[in-house]
Amino acid sequence: MKIFYNKIGFFTLLFREIHRFSRVSIQTILAPLISNILYLGIFSGILSTRSIAFEGFNYLQFLVPGLATMGTIFAAFQNPSFSLISQKYMNTIQDLNSYPISDLEKTTAFILGGTVRGTLIGMLTYIATLPFVKSGIYSPAFFFLSLMLTAFVFSSIGFISGLALDGFEKMNFVLSIVITPLSYLGGVFFEVSKLSGILSAMRFVNPIYPLVNLTRYAYLGVYEDNIYVHGAMAAVFIIAGFATSLIVFKRGTGIKIL
Amino acid sequence: MMLKIEGLNKIYKKDGKVALKDVDMNIKKGEFAALLGQNGAGKTTLINILSGNVKKTSGKVFIGGFDIDKNELETKRILGVVPQESGFDNFFSVEEVLKKQSGYFGIKNNKEYIYHLLNQLNLYEKKNNFIRELSGGMKRRFQIAKALVHKPEIFILDEPTAGVDIEMRHNMYDFLLELHKSGLTMILTTHYIEEAERLCDRIMVINSGEIVADEPKEILMDKFGREVRVSICFENPVDMRQWDLPTEFNGENAHNNQIDFKVDKAKLPSLLNAIASKRSDFVDISIEREKLEDVYLQLIKRRDS
Repeated sequence: MKIFYNKIGFFTLLFREIHRFSRVSIQTILAPLISNILYLGIFSGILSTRSIAFEGFNYLQFLVPGLATMGTIFAAFQNPSFSLISQKYMNTIQDLNSYPISDLEKTTAFILGGTVRGTLIGMLTYIATLPFVKSGIYSPAFFFLSLMLTAFVFSSIGFISGLALDGFEKMNFVLSIVITPLSYLGGVFFEVSKLSGILSAMRFVNPIYPLVNLTRYAYLGVYEDNIYVHGAMAAVFIIAGFATSLIVFKRGTGIKIL
Repeated sequence: MMLKIEGLNKIYKKDGKVALKDVDMNIKKGEFAALLGQNGAGKTTLINILSGNVKKTSGKVFIGGFDIDKNELETKRILGVVPQESGFDNFFSVEEVLKKQSGYFGIKNNKEYIYHLLNQLNLYEKKNNFIRELSGGMKRRFQIAKALVHKPEIFILDEPTAGVDIEMRHNMYDFLLELHKSGLTMILTTHYIEEAERLCDRIMVINSGEIVADEPKEILMDKFGREVRVSICFENPVDMRQWDLPTEFNGENAHNNQIDFKVDKAKLPSLLNAIASKRSDFVDISIEREKLEDVYLQLIKRRDS
């Protein structure tokens, strides 16, 4: 079975996405890293004297996988969304229609570009926390995989947003009004199961919650709620994210005139 | 047939505007055709349908024998388009963009051809510059290089010389003629009618979404350009009132020692004989056939009325 229609085209598009963010690495890599280190520095300063523990781990150990996941989510979302919206501003978006690369290849290339950036930020966040939290990872391979899956889901959401939205203001609106609250309610900073009422119930429809928990499980070896349910939820979000991305792209949303 | 269009229609969903009405077109391999029309006539819509930016409402389009509905990706491999409103990837240099463009079309190691194009288009010295650093004319030439980097079989240029200075425009004409000589099938849309007259061997005129003329240039000129302009200079001043020419030969314009006529080509000998019988102090005579611009205006006016 032929996997690629245009293998060189697919990899060129994927490397273009990686090349673009690495060309502006101060904004795309260094800035989110500093932001995450500041979070950790502030929390380690404030909470070092207080005893807030999770299954025998201190709060900073609890926080590291949350911050790594949050960094991954934001970076993965921003890569395809920024890339597509900036192409709309530069008036090069229609070039995408002229390439002999299949819709599946184009969609995958954009989403994998975001996945690379998201995973990179997640891993660098973990490395940056080492001076603050000196503890090993329960399963390094699963930690990496979990960040990658998280990046894939949010890169898909970023891809859909980049196609559907026509300005950076709207993209920032989605980040501040949707992604940021979801990450706060997804267990980045605290145990969501300890919330009550609707805020607690919302965790079952929040894509960030199972992904944070999977990363936390990979980091600490313990988890909140049921890890198998989280695994299944993550799988659903991955499939739904990618399928929706492909459908939206095929329809020509934001790139073709109907 | 390199491009075959049958009953192409486009109605924009957003505002219901009818942009193309039953357009038929056949472009043979190696032809250099001009598509002329006013702003909003449908030229860019047609090109955007070919390049995949606009979805057609109905009709069939075949590029290089491939149906764009069934073999869309194959059609993209053989099509090169220089769009009217060109955008630029500000993240990369000229050479980087052209390398990536080659890659999108499945071509690796295309450096030699990229440098050849940059040399041909006087852009080689700018290969390491970001595109935002290029002048307007350079950007247009860069767009041509970008559209040619995958060696397309059919090349479409949507107003490529808009905003380009005269000298550079003429260099570009030479370059386009060289491309045409190499056997490339080309379609040009332009507002400079003399450009189409100079470069193209086939003229299509589109008005309000309909093709109103589609002929080889010479046939179109013979069909519609039936009149000639005659300017005659005399040694002494001209006074038309003293002449008794048939009314059909009334001078259009008489000033000082010169008189201009616009007559049917077939009646030119009678005019010259009539004048020769009145005056013998000719100094100069110039006869100019109608320009494509005149024919184009006739076609547009005829359709509008």
